[in-house]
Amino acid sequence: MEKKILIVDDEDLVRNYVRRALSTRGWAVSERPDGAAALALLEKETFDAVICDLKMPDMRGEEVIKRIRAGYPATKLIVITGSVSNITSPLVPGVEVDGFLIKPFGIDEIRELTEKIFKA
Amino acid sequence: MTAKANILIVDDEVQIAEMISASLLAHGYTVSVAYDGEQGVAKVGAEKFDLAITDIQMPGMDGITALGEMKKLDPEIEVIIATGHGTMGTAIQSMRKGAFDYLHKPFEIKELLKVVERALEKRKFNDIAKAIFSTIRPEEQLRVIIDSVARILKAEESLLVLPDRENRPYIAVSEGLDDDAHKNSRLALCARIISQLDGAGSKSVILVEDPGKDKKFSDIPGIDRVKFSLFLPLMENNKPAGLININRLEDEAYFSEDDMQRARIFGSLVTLALRNSSLYRQLQETQSQLIQAEKMSALGQLAGGLAHEINNPLSGILGLTQLVLENTDAASQNYTDLKDIEKAVFRCKKIIVSLLSFARQEKTRMEPVSINEAIEETLTLCARQMELKHIRITRRLAPELPMVSADFQQLMQVFLNLFTNARDAMAEGGELTIETSRLKSPAGKEMVMTAITDTGSGINQEILSRIFDPFFTTKEVGKGTGLGLSVCLGLINKHNGAIKAQSQAGKGSTFTISLPV
Repeated sequence: MEKKILIVDDEDLVRNYVRRALSTRGWAVSERPDGAAALALLEKETFDAVICDLKMPDMRGEEVIKRIRAGYPATKLIVITGSVSNITSPLVPGVEVDGFLIKPFGIDEIRELTEKIFKA
Repeated sequence: MTAKANILIVDDEVQIAEMISASLLAHGYTVSVAYDGEQGVAKVGAEKFDLAITDIQMPGMDGITALGEMKKLDPEIEVIIATGHGTMGTAIQSMRKGAFDYLHKPFEIKELLKVVERALEKRKFNDIAKAIFSTIRPEEQLRVIIDSVARILKAEESLLVLPDRENRPYIAVSEGLDDDAHKNSRLALCARIISQLDGAGSKSVILVEDPGKDKKFSDIPGIDRVKFSLFLPLMENNKPAGLININRLEDEAYFSEDDMQRARIFGSLVTLALRNSSLYRQLQETQSQLIQAEKMSALGQLAGGLAHEINNPLSGILGLTQLVLENTDAASQNYTDLKDIEKAVFRCKKIIVSLLSFARQEKTRMEPVSINEAIEETLTLCARQMELKHIRITRRLAPELPMVSADFQQLMQVFLNLFTNARDAMAEGGELTIETSRLKSPAGKEMVMTAITDTGSGINQEILSRIFDPFFTTKEVGKGTGLGLSVCLGLINKHNGAIKAQSQAGKGSTFTISLPV
């Protein structure tokens, strides 16, 4: 069974290229534009990994990430963010993430990181 | 006193009024008369008087009430009470209401004239004080001061001596000194007087008769022309902060006790005025620093927000371009074009990273740092590059400099930026000189100064004031974000230091950094 990935980001350009980049590797990718929609979907389906933006308008990205980690401990978590300054402090206090990328990132970067966390 | 002083006499006794009026007119004053209090007050309301002389016992409004009303209409008017029916009580009352003096009839005209003169002189001092304090511009203020001194104390020569940055005396402004030899002569005289001053017994006025005959000064060329010299030390925190020197050249032109008293008043006035304008200057500098700091902070926030917003669409451009590239024939023009787009995005990423580092509140770690060491370490990063560009590095680093409290990394960042700018300015090679020294700020603080000089193309005077502005750059597109110097300014400000630039187009530039010890 191919792995299932959920990409959560309010920017449709980002969801677009990340989804396509990962699909060519054979993974099944779903997308949601905000935290609330993402959590709703996670209640219905199981995902092997979630790629989530740190800063989103409706529900703060941090909040979403905390809930995902708390509610779905088996699901891998990759955080993406546009803010360089965040990498110096713990990315999300109290939450261990499996990887992170700083925007703008290329298609190979997200592919290789996803590959890596599935192997770990 | 000038003949133009305007005096009002208020007395119901016509003969007295005429007598006083005649005497004052004979002495060149302009005179008006009123025969009761109300009339007197009305005249003050209608015309500007320097002085009013008024009786107390008058029909209708009495003199003391009139005094009060006149002062309300014109707070600067001086009023002399001249009365035949006075008591201790009325005298005290008058003084309390602001009368300048109180004369009891019968009095001799001589007496009245003396009082008139003193009252008018007080007005003159007030006018001068106003002129001095309302002139904030230093050059104008000094000119007003020295003109007033010469007028009040009637001297041929007057000069104001102040200490320069290295605490050496120089003539800030003078009157009656014809040429350099003349000026040097009087400056030498003042310098010797200053060296005799000690903080403890601060003399308010020093008088020297015939300085040419005193062996302390006799060797100064041209000093024998001076017959009488008056010196007013200007003290600041019990230390001499300057000196006013007034010289009379005629025999028998003694400085009277009155002159000395006037000089003393003058000295305090001038000290206050100088302190005032220096405070004002400091205030202006602080204000502009605050404004600059706020601008930087606002800009920082803007930059941070902007960077974040741009990262999303930039991501989109990068990702989609790369996806298209995967499906494009590597030999095609499309492929080349798309690759160029990809490179452009990476350039944008670099710009944004430097933008964010400018916006970020860096956590500063302060520790005792040797400036010379920071300079040397920075040089190890770029010395080789300099060599390749035929740039000679000359070091003039003062030995045994005190340590400054600083963040070593940030200092290196500043130096690196300045060295790089210098290198870029010397495209055909040149010389980079780095000099460090210790000195005292005008306020007496210990500082370490670093001067970085290049022999490059220099900076035009018009742009010189803008080079520390964020995003201002003279480099071509793609070769610099224009953030370097504004970041340097921010970092140096955080260290409570200052950075300045001097330049001559075609000759080169010098950047000077001063940091407190």
